[in-house]
Amino acid sequence: MKKKIFFLLLPFLFAGCKEDYLERPSQNGPTLETYYTTAEQVNGATGILYNVIWYNYIDKAFFAIGEVLGGNMWPAGDEFTSFKNFTVSGTDQAVSNSWGAFYKVAGTATVLLNTFEEKKKTVSDSRYLDHGIAEARFMRAVAYFYLARTFGDVPIVEDPVKMSETGQFNVPRYQQADVLKFVIEDLKFAEENLSANAAQPGRATSMSATGMMAKVYLYMKDFENAKLKAQQVINSNKYSLYPDYQKMFTSSLANNNQESIFALQWLADGGYSIGNAMQVYIGPSTLLGPLAGGGYSLFIPSVDLLNAYEPADKRRGWSIMEHGFTRSDWTNQNFPNGFVYDTTYTSSNDQALKLKTPTRSNALKYIVANDPGGKINGSFSSMNTYVLRYADILLIYAEAILGTSASTSDPEALRAFNEVRHRAGFPVSADMTSLNIDMILHERRVEFAFEGDFWYDIQRMGFDKAKVIIGAQERGIFGNNRVIQHLGVTLSSPSQLFLPIPTSELLNNPELANPAVPYY
Amino acid sequence: MKAFDELFQFSLLQAFRLAKNELNFTVRDTYGKGSPLKRKGTSLILLLFLCFSAAKAQNPAPPAVISGTVKDSRGDALPGVSVMLKGTQTGAISDNTGAYRISVPGAAGTLIFKFVGMETQEIPIGTKNVIDVVLKDSESRLDEVVVVGYGSMRKAEVTSAIASISAKDIKDLPQAGVDQMLQGKVSGVTVSNNGGQPGGGVSVQIRGNTSIGSNEPLYVVDGVIQQTSSSSISYDQLGGVGGQTTQSAIASLNPNDIESIDILKDASAQAIYGSRAANGVVLITTKRGKSGEGKVSYDAYYGLQTTPKMLDLMDLSQFADYSNKVRLESGEVLNTTIDPILEFQRPELLGKGTDWQEAIFQTGAIQNHQFAFSGGQSKTTYYLSMNYFDQEGTIIGSDYDRYTMRFNLDHEVKDWLKVGMSSSVGRNSQRVALTNGTEGIVNLAVYNSPAAPITTIDGDYATTISVGGFNFGNALNPVARAKLRKVTKIQNKATSNLYGEIIFNKNFKLRNELNFDFNNVENTAFQPSIITDQGIVIITPSRLMEQRDNSLYVSAVNYLNYNQVFNKHSVSAQLGHESQKTNNNYLSGTRQNLALNFESLSAGAQDGQSLNGGKGDWAMESWFARAGYTYNDKYSLNLSARRDGSSSFGPENRIGYFTAGSVGWTITNEEFAKGGNTLNYLKLRLGAGSVGNQSAGANNYTTNIRLFATGPFGSGGIPDNVGNPSLGWESVVTYNAGVDATLFNRRLELSVDVYDKTTTDMLMRSEMPVFSGIGANWDDIKSPFVNAGNMKNRGIDLSITSYNVTKPDFDWRTNVIFSHYKNTLKQLNSEEAELFRYTEYNNAVVLTRTVVGGPLGRFYGFVAEGLFGSVAEIQNSADQGIPVGPTGTWVGDVKFKDLNGDNVIDDKDVTFIGDPNPTFTYGISNSFRYKGLDLTVFLQGSYGGDILNYTRRTTERLNNPYVNQLADVTNRYSTSNPGGNMPRFNQWHNNNWRVSDRFIEDGSYLRIQNITLGYNLPSSIVSKVKMANARVYVTAQNLYTFSNYSGVSPELGAYNSDVLLQNVDNGNYPTPRTFNFGINVTF
Repeated sequence: MKKKIFFLLLPFLFAGCKEDYLERPSQNGPTLETYYTTAEQVNGATGILYNVIWYNYIDKAFFAIGEVLGGNMWPAGDEFTSFKNFTVSGTDQAVSNSWGAFYKVAGTATVLLNTFEEKKKTVSDSRYLDHGIAEARFMRAVAYFYLARTFGDVPIVEDPVKMSETGQFNVPRYQQADVLKFVIEDLKFAEENLSANAAQPGRATSMSATGMMAKVYLYMKDFENAKLKAQQVINSNKYSLYPDYQKMFTSSLANNNQESIFALQWLADGGYSIGNAMQVYIGPSTLLGPLAGGGYSLFIPSVDLLNAYEPADKRRGWSIMEHGFTRSDWTNQNFPNGFVYDTTYTSSNDQALKLKTPTRSNALKYIVANDPGGKINGSFSSMNTYVLRYADILLIYAEAILGTSASTSDPEALRAFNEVRHRAGFPVSADMTSLNIDMILHERRVEFAFEGDFWYDIQRMGFDKAKVIIGAQERGIFGNNRVIQHLGVTLSSPSQLFLPIPTSELLNNPELANPAVPYY
Repeated sequence: MKAFDELFQFSLLQAFRLAKNELNFTVRDTYGKGSPLKRKGTSLILLLFLCFSAAKAQNPAPPAVISGTVKDSRGDALPGVSVMLKGTQTGAISDNTGAYRISVPGAAGTLIFKFVGMETQEIPIGTKNVIDVVLKDSESRLDEVVVVGYGSMRKAEVTSAIASISAKDIKDLPQAGVDQMLQGKVSGVTVSNNGGQPGGGVSVQIRGNTSIGSNEPLYVVDGVIQQTSSSSISYDQLGGVGGQTTQSAIASLNPNDIESIDILKDASAQAIYGSRAANGVVLITTKRGKSGEGKVSYDAYYGLQTTPKMLDLMDLSQFADYSNKVRLESGEVLNTTIDPILEFQRPELLGKGTDWQEAIFQTGAIQNHQFAFSGGQSKTTYYLSMNYFDQEGTIIGSDYDRYTMRFNLDHEVKDWLKVGMSSSVGRNSQRVALTNGTEGIVNLAVYNSPAAPITTIDGDYATTISVGGFNFGNALNPVARAKLRKVTKIQNKATSNLYGEIIFNKNFKLRNELNFDFNNVENTAFQPSIITDQGIVIITPSRLMEQRDNSLYVSAVNYLNYNQVFNKHSVSAQLGHESQKTNNNYLSGTRQNLALNFESLSAGAQDGQSLNGGKGDWAMESWFARAGYTYNDKYSLNLSARRDGSSSFGPENRIGYFTAGSVGWTITNEEFAKGGNTLNYLKLRLGAGSVGNQSAGANNYTTNIRLFATGPFGSGGIPDNVGNPSLGWESVVTYNAGVDATLFNRRLELSVDVYDKTTTDMLMRSEMPVFSGIGANWDDIKSPFVNAGNMKNRGIDLSITSYNVTKPDFDWRTNVIFSHYKNTLKQLNSEEAELFRYTEYNNAVVLTRTVVGGPLGRFYGFVAEGLFGSVAEIQNSADQGIPVGPTGTWVGDVKFKDLNGDNVIDDKDVTFIGDPNPTFTYGISNSFRYKGLDLTVFLQGSYGGDILNYTRRTTERLNNPYVNQLADVTNRYSTSNPGGNMPRFNQWHNNNWRVSDRFIEDGSYLRIQNITLGYNLPSSIVSKVKMANARVYVTAQNLYTFSNYSGVSPELGAYNSDVLLQNVDNGNYPTPRTFNFGINVTF
């Protein structure tokens, strides 16, 4: 009996499991081997390039770099004081956030385009992959354009996967001129391979690439090409100025309008990092507190910017909330009949309805509140972030024509320039008849205030001019009774034109501390 | 208690159902010839009868009751001694005090006293009513067995490093988890609480840091491998910043059920667990019934917990004075006059204001109740228990409770077949306080102004208060946040081991085990929307996230054991097969804008909702073998091998082999060393072996596509990771040498082990620079898992027990344990690779840096050289990176050291400023017993680790006149206090508070961890109320800590058990001090 049972049990003891017992592929998604076989899958993947990977730049660093350095905004948080004072260090959060976001965009775009290139070898008709490749290269170009402008000389990584395999991280910094050349090459490819019309509103088209090239060429001071590319965009007649300037920035209903050439696409429904959270940081607490629990007024319009608007410029009221500003379509628990911006705050009993920021103002752009007809989800909205719009092309065109001259009265330049001013409320009778670089910079400042661009405009003028511009700015705030507490900043070194590389990256790759080398 | 009563009854019913289905033979035995039992209504009564049956059975006979006490030769009470009437089945077991009672029919019999490791004694009853017995050690206690994984082994034959502790060593400790109880008890095991969160995480390291990933040991409870790492939802799911989320790995296990714990410390012991043993193995054996008289026991304690220390922050009058002065000082800098705030002009009139620490800390109650029933007849033994544990946190809004039930059973079905089970079901629930983060409750409290009230006159929570037109306080009211926001985790767990053992003959046994461990976890994160009638936002929007995780682990183990003794040769062998599998899935949903703030998903709006889910599985198949040979109890050899196949790896590297060998030589069994009272026992052990680690996560060998539903242009999928088809096993090789000795007439026991442990092919995500564009963040395309790196640990474990006094009425013994190791990272995935840990939003601040050649997780930052004393000194020093001037670098600012000599202080002037790894840890326990009184004093300490006091970066920041600071900031530099040792008040730049060695402190401490004073009621009283034993005791836990550390507690553990983020004090949950009263009663 015992023996029988013994033999009965032996098979249990010595029988191994079936061979596939250890074969357990992921149950949550396909693997690379079986994916990217249709145009739909490729388009789905490239959608992410317009969205979540930009988030760490867009939420705060965007303002710290483009607006605080540029003198358009004043930062309320300790962590951004250094941007006000030009004492930025490699451990500042806006430094690591922007560096990380730009390289995440570049890296994601690169992995996708390399993946698509590999996939091409295995399919017979690869046209659906080519479009994805062009879209990824377009986005990589945009990312490196931001990197070159923000950090100057930066590493270029064309194969992150190989880098991880070899563990060779000692990539040098490449000269900014070569990084920009790399950007132009990607944009050229995108211009040739993207479709002329967007398959979905908001997707980059070949004309988006053309427009970006105009902006890059202008940055490179290649005025001839900048003019050529801007002209192509203008002559395409695909774009025009959107008539409602305020709505363009305060309602997601205006997303992908006739003026938008390229914009990041946010989606309130996605929540954190998929939705646009800009308003939570810059908006007034009286408006956003009850809606989204935010409204930190972390970056507010600077005194210098407030003083920059010409009296007749309607963009001041369309871009900035100041005492008396109202929006009847914005309601919350405290403002059931419409929002009123009131700066007569005296004590914390007032804090539900009144708010006294150090410059008695808040940015209005990118505040969408309850976005009538559109959507917000807690803190997050679906408001696009404009990267390039038609007004920019018009001003690029004017500036490219001006080139290195002291001034110009070229009618085409004037026509483009005045077209932007007409929308701002200036009558034809007030048209400019001659342009110089300061007028263009001023126009760019007020036209693109809070759009994250002004610092790059100052910076591309070179150190000497930047020093003059920054040195003349009032970077302080209002004390009691609107008496200015003056703060002036003097640029002392050309290195202040670029952010330092994040400390942790230097530790990871000491090569980054060495002088830049050519890429080409 | 009502809930508990219900549970008690419910559990009895459940237990009975189990008993009825599986074991109706037991019931029949009890009843003689019981009829089949069908009606549920009678079940409860019957079960109670079952439990108390032995007690009833003694009633009919006209008994002579013999009682007495059993002790060992040192005078120690011996619990658990089997007392049998010779030639019968009548028996009893001695209780905790060694006392026993046995009913015998008459004076003719003989009592047999038996205990493992002791010489059996037979004593004729004669006319005696009281028989006290002293049992002698059997030949050097070597028949004691040690649990070694898939079986046990005679201690005499053990040749590897195994530490054993028994229930006695950890009883009555007011802790939720066994892991916490091991602190300071076992040499070579470093335990530190990651905070005082009830049920919160514990860092357990067996012999140093084996890996840069998880270092948590493998826990095996009654043969069932536990699924350990466990976390709650992070608070950032509700918006804002998150904090610590880990839970104690085995908080769901009821410590009161534990009989013994054996810790496999070296690879020669661990190798039988192969690829899951790299971090060491903790084998936990639960209590089982013993044949003889049934036993009912009730153990309970109740205690109060408080926070041992609070920071010395300014009260309102100090704060007002500070405000006035810093306004003056700021005025000086700006060359203007800044008037004091009107309301603050007479600080002395202002009183204390709000004490935010008082507001967030509370006295928390802790209680524990354990009912246990055990006993058995000749062929069947059982152990049943029910436990209720409840702990309120010392921070408002945190608590933990647990219900568990256990049923252990062993039955001899035939003389060749034994079956049994160990099973437990339980439910524990934790509410987590947000700690260790910028928005943590402690951090919010320590810098909130004493001028700000907790609530307004209307009874609403207050946010900020305007004083003289300036806002004080924080919009994030810490009390409101602690009370209103809620993250809870409820874990339901059922685990069971069912075995059948076939005994072919006295040499061959086949054991089959089926194990399962089922977990269902209910995670919830909730916040209401609170906007006051005045329209002031306290918290908004309302949001609820619910998540459900299910996991099932099953395994089947079969192994054949062979044991034989020929003359002086003892031979053993084992061959086994094991297959394991887990399946898990989760479902999570979030909605916000909940109607009426109702904590229900269905009350939420569809707008902005989200829904997620996922599933996965994992499997492993293994073969294992073990062989042992001992000659004449002098020479022993043990060999083991295991072959593991794991689904974590690709086809190329699926199989791993792990082998070990060890030898032992008992010198005192040699003729030449025998006799003599100085050296009673001496054994040398040498061992070597390899174990592995496969914790690379599932499917990382291949490139997976992450599908997403929400994107600007619709759904899609992108690569989630970079695959690595050649991914393989991490391997750990250990060499161990040990000595066990007993000296001076058995008064001193000593055990020393030295080891060398090398980890190779360390599994880690390739650490990529950020500019590669791929990385390890949740939204990155993940860098590949690689086998990279090499790490070494060398150390010594020492354990000494000294029997200082062993008089019959008085007994004093001392136990000392000491652990030291040195950890060195030898290699990473490339020569340039380094590991960093950061803090603050988006990793802005580097805290630790780990490089090849050094230990893990050293602090990294600037070196401060005091303060600038004069403008001339500034001009003669390196450029501090900020222009010289009153609003730039100025007198009273911190002077940083120019480390690279380039005359500029910048990113390159950072270095290692501290090492959190302790030089050694130790525990000293003294136990005294005088008659019925017992006293234990347990000290525990750590020496040589540094702490980064990150909280001081806030509480001594001196840049904002509206937030509170430590009271000692009065000693800051100012023109009126030029000798101040703290930097000046400076709101113009951030240099003074960057991470530097200013914030590094010595983390050494010695803690009075536990003092227990107990009293055993005399048996004369106890027996009158039919009790076998009754003990009352009081305990003080964490009574006092000797330390130079300025923060709240020097015991900080690791942030979420991450070994690269140890000893960072960033608003930790302080480990509480507990005073307890408890009783143990046995019937």
